[in-house]
Amino acid sequence: MARRMVMAPKKCTGCTSCSLTCAITYNNEFDLKKSHVQVKKNDLDGTFNIIFSSTCLSCGKCAEVCPSGCLSIIDSGNGGK
Amino acid sequence: MYGYAGKLLDINLSTLTVNALPLDEELIKNYVGGVGFSTKIIYDQVPVGIDPFDPENILCFGVGSLVGTNVPTACRTEVSAKSPATGLFGTSNSGSFWGSELKFAGYDGIIIRGRASSAVYISINNEKVEIVPASHVWGKDAWETIKLIRNELKDDEIQIAAIGQAGENLCRFASIENGPYDAWGRTGLGAVMGSKKLKAIAVRGNKSIKVFNKKSFLNFTNQARAAIYESPFYGPFSKFGTMLATVPYYEFGALPGRNFQTGVIDNWMETRSRKLVSKYSNRGISCISCPIACAHWVEVKEGPYKGLRIKDMEVTPLIGFAAGCDINNIPAVSKLTEVCQRYGIDMVSAAGTIAFSMELFQRKIITEKDIGFQLEWGNEEAVFKLLDLIIKRDGIGDILAEGTKRAAEKIPGAENYAMHIKGLEIPMADPRGRWSTWTFGNITNIRGGDHLRNRNPVENLRFNDNPIEYKCEKFGFPDEIYEKLDMFEKVKEEVFQQETRDVNISRMSKWAEDLISVYNTLGICIRPPVLQAVGPTLLSNLYSTLTGIDITGEDLMKVGERIWNLQKLFNLREGEKSEDSVFPKRFYNEILPDGPSKGKKLDAVKVKEVLGDYYQVRGWDRQTGVPTKEKLDELGLK
Repeated sequence: MARRMVMAPKKCTGCTSCSLTCAITYNNEFDLKKSHVQVKKNDLDGTFNIIFSSTCLSCGKCAEVCPSGCLSIIDSGNGGK
Repeated sequence: MYGYAGKLLDINLSTLTVNALPLDEELIKNYVGGVGFSTKIIYDQVPVGIDPFDPENILCFGVGSLVGTNVPTACRTEVSAKSPATGLFGTSNSGSFWGSELKFAGYDGIIIRGRASSAVYISINNEKVEIVPASHVWGKDAWETIKLIRNELKDDEIQIAAIGQAGENLCRFASIENGPYDAWGRTGLGAVMGSKKLKAIAVRGNKSIKVFNKKSFLNFTNQARAAIYESPFYGPFSKFGTMLATVPYYEFGALPGRNFQTGVIDNWMETRSRKLVSKYSNRGISCISCPIACAHWVEVKEGPYKGLRIKDMEVTPLIGFAAGCDINNIPAVSKLTEVCQRYGIDMVSAAGTIAFSMELFQRKIITEKDIGFQLEWGNEEAVFKLLDLIIKRDGIGDILAEGTKRAAEKIPGAENYAMHIKGLEIPMADPRGRWSTWTFGNITNIRGGDHLRNRNPVENLRFNDNPIEYKCEKFGFPDEIYEKLDMFEKVKEEVFQQETRDVNISRMSKWAEDLISVYNTLGICIRPPVLQAVGPTLLSNLYSTLTGIDITGEDLMKVGERIWNLQKLFNLREGEKSEDSVFPKRFYNEILPDGPSKGKKLDAVKVKEVLGDYYQVRGWDRQTGVPTKEKLDELGLK
């Protein structure tokens, strides 16, 4: 069954685990600028924006480690829910 | 170099010189990471007996060696110097994003020496390190400073460590703010930074951290994450954060109510406990690489503090102000937290010093004439006013900014109400109401009255001894938790007594202090879900696969022990005596008057016996607490 990633931006806690995981998965080192997903922080306001680059392969590794439920994988068979 | 950035920045503010020193192999081998490096540098290079505000005091920022990776909770940096609060080894730990940014800029730490002739800040952008005039931000609070420097450097995500006015004014318990809402709070290091005329350190980096064995490292990282998720503490901690502790310490009757005059506060559960977290917050905020998100984003929507938005709901300011000063209003505590963050002052010592002042007012030792206003328990407006006087060192605030120990020496009749150990105000819990490894740890702590360097990873929060069993506390969890605990089998046998279900406090204290020293030097967080789930074997596997440097769990614990012993040697050199390792007299002389722990007080002889046991377990002289020659030889210390 096909799977796709969904995002609930308000759930992001800013932990950046997605970006760190992407970096080590695809570049073999922790180099956040090369990560396909970036967490833009507005720390004074306690808000975060997750930005995927066009190079993202949608592998879902970032969602696997997201602790907050901001990024998750759902089955998208039959059009998903 | 794998794992490490590979360099320490050595900055002299007197000569305005900057050097990037390569990390020394021996330093890595013996001290492993941030606070370990800082401890060795400060012990070797800070002249004995100097005033903490002397330019020769050294302020070290040490980033944990796992920071900058995806190891869960690897976010911590420790700042160290000789403390203006205690005159002993000052050190304070904080998470957030500053430390990882410093590693991405290419540095594992910063050594700051000397004193600038006028205010400066340090700007670090990878190899470009500049000492910049800061007269335009001197006098501003930490939040304004962060905004102004970000504007100036045209980078709204640059990470900034800054002091507020408390640090500039040399308040002895000033903090260094780590971004807007986190801080290196304890032991007055903001005042050391202020004495050096250093307003802020702004950091931007875009280098990488290399991994020696990616496949194994990621396996161990996944193992650590799974272990944290499986901890019984994980769910409650994600939900309530540190506010979790507001209920058990009330139920034990161990709150520091009205400067430790009572262990209970009326209507606590309804007005000031974790029950109210969801009223003010609906989401968590994380440090880098943390799956727990123990901090909460708070928005106050009604009442006099309407509009307040802040990262908060931390138990230490809550208990300090809401129990210690009897402030019956969570938004008021959040507003006090904001003031502490903006002006850069340690919330624990600030609340402790104000509670001390309120008790002096209650007892008419100080009066409205001395203070300028009435200072009754629970008087919110008066607490804000007094905090402001302390930050500005204005009026009686000038005496109180010295901390409770020094203030009590200046105010006749005040000594019995100064609730400090070695000059540092005690947070959180009354040991009469809760005797445990955690509360005992206040008197063995190298930084003085503090609860964050000693904690039983399997602490029982559902049961309290009555009467106090001094040498032991009870098991807290089912047997499988003990079986899974990442602790050496030989140590387990010594610490846990299966037949009686007892945890030996002196032996657990040595284990926990060494383990927490390892945590702090590696840069991971000591929150209970981690402390229970991740021990030295898993940490050594993470470290070895990240850096390529083989180390065993036993080696790593020896590093923790070496750091702790060297910090102790620093304290002894600065004049610490065994008789300083005592609780305030109130805990021995006065019973708790009400609540579940009514009638309890500490027996000085029995406390001293446990302390003697602890010294013996540590390989220190049982009477004096001085490390023996054999122990120092074993650790390679002179």
